[in-house]
Amino acid sequence: MKTNKIVTPLKIALLGLTTVLAATSAQADVLSDVKSKGELIIGTELHFAPFDFLDNGKHAGLNKDFFTEVGKELGVKISYVDLPWPSVLPGLEASKFDMVGGPVTITKERMKRYNFSLPIADASVALLKRKGNSAVTKPEDIAGKPVGAGKGSSQAAQLEDFSTSLETPAEIKLYVDNNSAYSEIMTGRVVAVANSLPNIAYVASQHKNFEVVLPPFGKKTYYGYVTRKNTDSESLLKAINDIIVKMKADGRMEDIQVKWFGNPMDLPTDMIVPQI
Amino acid sequence: MTFDIQVIIDHLPEIASGFGLTILCTVVAALIAMVLGLFVALGLMSKAAVFRYPVRLYVEIIRGTPFLIQLFLLYYGGPSFGLYLEPIEAGIIGLAIYCSAYFAELFRSGFNSISLGQLEAAQIMGFSKISVLWRIQIPQMMVLITPGLVNICIILGKETTILSIVTVPELAFVLTGIGSETYAYAETLTVLAISYLILSELTARFGSWTEKRLSKYMERSI
Amino acid sequence: MLDFSTLPVALPLLWDGVQMTLFLSLMAVVLGLMVGVLMCLARLSSHYAVRFFAQLYISLFRGVPLLVQLMVTYYCLPLIGINIPALVAATACIGLCASAYMTEILRGGFLSLPTGQKESATMVGLNQFQVLLFIELPQVIRLTIPGIINEAILLVKASSLISAVGITELTRISQNLASSNFQPFEFYLTAAGIYFIINSMISAFGFWLEARINRRVIA
Repeated sequence: MKTNKIVTPLKIALLGLTTVLAATSAQADVLSDVKSKGELIIGTELHFAPFDFLDNGKHAGLNKDFFTEVGKELGVKISYVDLPWPSVLPGLEASKFDMVGGPVTITKERMKRYNFSLPIADASVALLKRKGNSAVTKPEDIAGKPVGAGKGSSQAAQLEDFSTSLETPAEIKLYVDNNSAYSEIMTGRVVAVANSLPNIAYVASQHKNFEVVLPPFGKKTYYGYVTRKNTDSESLLKAINDIIVKMKADGRMEDIQVKWFGNPMDLPTDMIVPQI
Repeated sequence: MTFDIQVIIDHLPEIASGFGLTILCTVVAALIAMVLGLFVALGLMSKAAVFRYPVRLYVEIIRGTPFLIQLFLLYYGGPSFGLYLEPIEAGIIGLAIYCSAYFAELFRSGFNSISLGQLEAAQIMGFSKISVLWRIQIPQMMVLITPGLVNICIILGKETTILSIVTVPELAFVLTGIGSETYAYAETLTVLAISYLILSELTARFGSWTEKRLSKYMERSI
Repeated sequence: MLDFSTLPVALPLLWDGVQMTLFLSLMAVVLGLMVGVLMCLARLSSHYAVRFFAQLYISLFRGVPLLVQLMVTYYCLPLIGINIPALVAATACIGLCASAYMTEILRGGFLSLPTGQKESATMVGLNQFQVLLFIELPQVIRLTIPGIINEAILLVKASSLISAVGITELTRISQNLASSNFQPFEFYLTAAGIYFIINSMISAFGFWLEARINRRVIA
C-alpha cells in the first residue's frame, strides 16, 4: 500500500517547497504532473467529521478512505494540506494543492468558478439540537429562536431561506467554525445548529448530548470534490469521476458509506444540476 | 488577474459598519484596559506578598497565552460557570483583560522611574497618597510611557481580527464573508490591509500628538 | 466536567505542533533581529530618502495584521505569478512583521548610546562597520534584552496565525483535536498551558541572560 498518512508539519512544509518548484516548472496537465511526481496533494480541513478528522490522533474519515483508493488506482501517493475553511478555496485558486478533498456543497454560484466531481454525499440541511430539547421537534420550531450555522456555508444560506419562509424568522448566528456552533448548543446561546445531515448525524452518533431534528429542510444538495476550472485540471477531474463510478460498481463506495454514515447512501450517478 | 473594485463598492455599507465596530471595540477595550492595568500595576507594586504574587501570576498567564485561546475560553467556556456574555461584550472584555497585563507592566516601569525623593518631598508638603498618585506620579509617568502605550494600542487594534471567532461582525469578519461569497479574495484582503494600516497610522499619529502636548505641559509645570 | 483521558494519544501530535511553533518563533526572532538592525540603521540614516523608506516599512509591517500579510503573500501573490512555498511565506511574514517591532526596540538602544563613543572608536582606527559590529551592536543588544524578550513572547503567540497558510502548528493541532474529539475546553486549556510553559522559559532565559551580561559588564 502507498503511504497515506498525515506527515508531520515540518515535512509538509518541505513538501510544499517541492510542490511549488514542480508547479512553477510544469504548468501543463495536472493529472500528468501528479503522475510524474508520484503524488496527489489534497487541500482539506481536519475539522469535518465524518469526512476528515482526527480519530485517536490519526487522520481518518470518508475522504481519507476514498483518496486511499484513488492513490491505489492512480499509483500515486496522497498527501494532505490541512487548512482553515476560509483558506481552502483561495488555496485551490492559488494552486497550493491539486484539488480540494473537502468536500464542498455543489451550488450554482460555485459551479461558475470551480469544477465539481460527481456527488459523493448528500448535503441536505438538517438541525442538530441538545438531546431531549422538546422545544424543537421539527424544523419549523426554530421560528423566532436563535439558530447557528457555519459562516459562508451553503447550509447557512439555506437556513436563511428557510427562516424567512417562517412566520417569525429565526435569529441566525454565523460561526467561523462549525464546532464552535455546536458548542453553542451546549451553552444554550442557540437552540439548534443547521448543517449537512451527514455531518450532524455523525456528531450525534458520537456525542450523547446531541440529537438530530428530522426531516431535513430546504432544497436537496450534494457534496462533491473540487478542482480548478481550467483545461489543465480536466483530466484529473475525469480520473476522479471514473474512480467514483468504478468504486460504486464494485461495492467499495458502499463499504465506506456504511463505515462512516452507518448505511449506504443513494447518490445520483450523473452530474447534477444544483438547485441552489 | 482581475481586480474588481465594484465588489467593494457594492458592500460599502457593511464594510463601513464592520470598520466602525472594529474602532469601537479597540477604543472601548483600550480605555477599560488602561484603567484595569493601572490597578493591576498597583497590585504588582504592593508590599503585601499575598497581594503581589496572585497579581504577578495573572499578568504572566495573560501575557503567556494567545488571545485567541483566552477569548475562546471566555466566550464558550464562560457559560459553564454561569457567565453569559454577548459576542461584543466578550470581545471587548477579552481584549481589555489581554491588554491590561501589558499596560500594567508598562505602568509599573513608569512608576519605578520616578525618583523616591520627589514622592517623599510631596508627602512632607502634606499631599495625601491619592493626590501624590494622581497629581505627581501619573502625569510624569504618562510622558515616559506614551510611546509604549501607543505600541500596545496598535497591537490591541490588530487583535480585533480575532473577535470573529466569537461572531463579532468586525471588519475582518465582514470582509472574509464578502470574500467567500463573491470569491473576491484579493479585493477584500486589500481593503482589510489598507483599513488596518489607516487605523494603526491614526493611533501612531495620535500618540505623537499626545507626546508633544504632554512634554510641553511638563516643561511648563517644572 | 473536564475529561483529559484522550490527551495521552494526542501528545505526539501536540509535540509536532510545538516543534513547528518553536521553529517559526525562532526564525522570526533571528530574521526580525537581522532585518531590524538594517532597518534601524536606515531609520537613523542622515539621508532623507533612506529614512523615509524605513519609516514606510515600519508603518506597513506594524500596521497590517500578520494574518492579512500572510493571506496576501500566500493567496494573492500567486495571482500575479509569484508563488511562494508555505513555509517560506510564513517565515518571511512573521520575520518581517517582527523586524518592524525590533527596529523600534533597537532604535531606543542606539539612541541611548553616549555620543562621544563613536568618535573615540574611529580615532583608534576602527572603520564604521567595525564600530557598529564590535562596539555599538553588543551594547544595544544588552540594553534592549527586555524589549527583545518581550517581542519574542509576542511572536510565539503570533505564530498561532500561521495555520492560515496550511502549516500545522500548536494552535491548529489543538483546534483539530478539539473538534475531532469534541472536547474544546480540554484541548484549548492544554494548548494554553503549553504556550505558558514556552513563554515562561523564554522569560526566564531573558532574566538569566540579563543577569549574566550585567555581571560581566560590571566585572
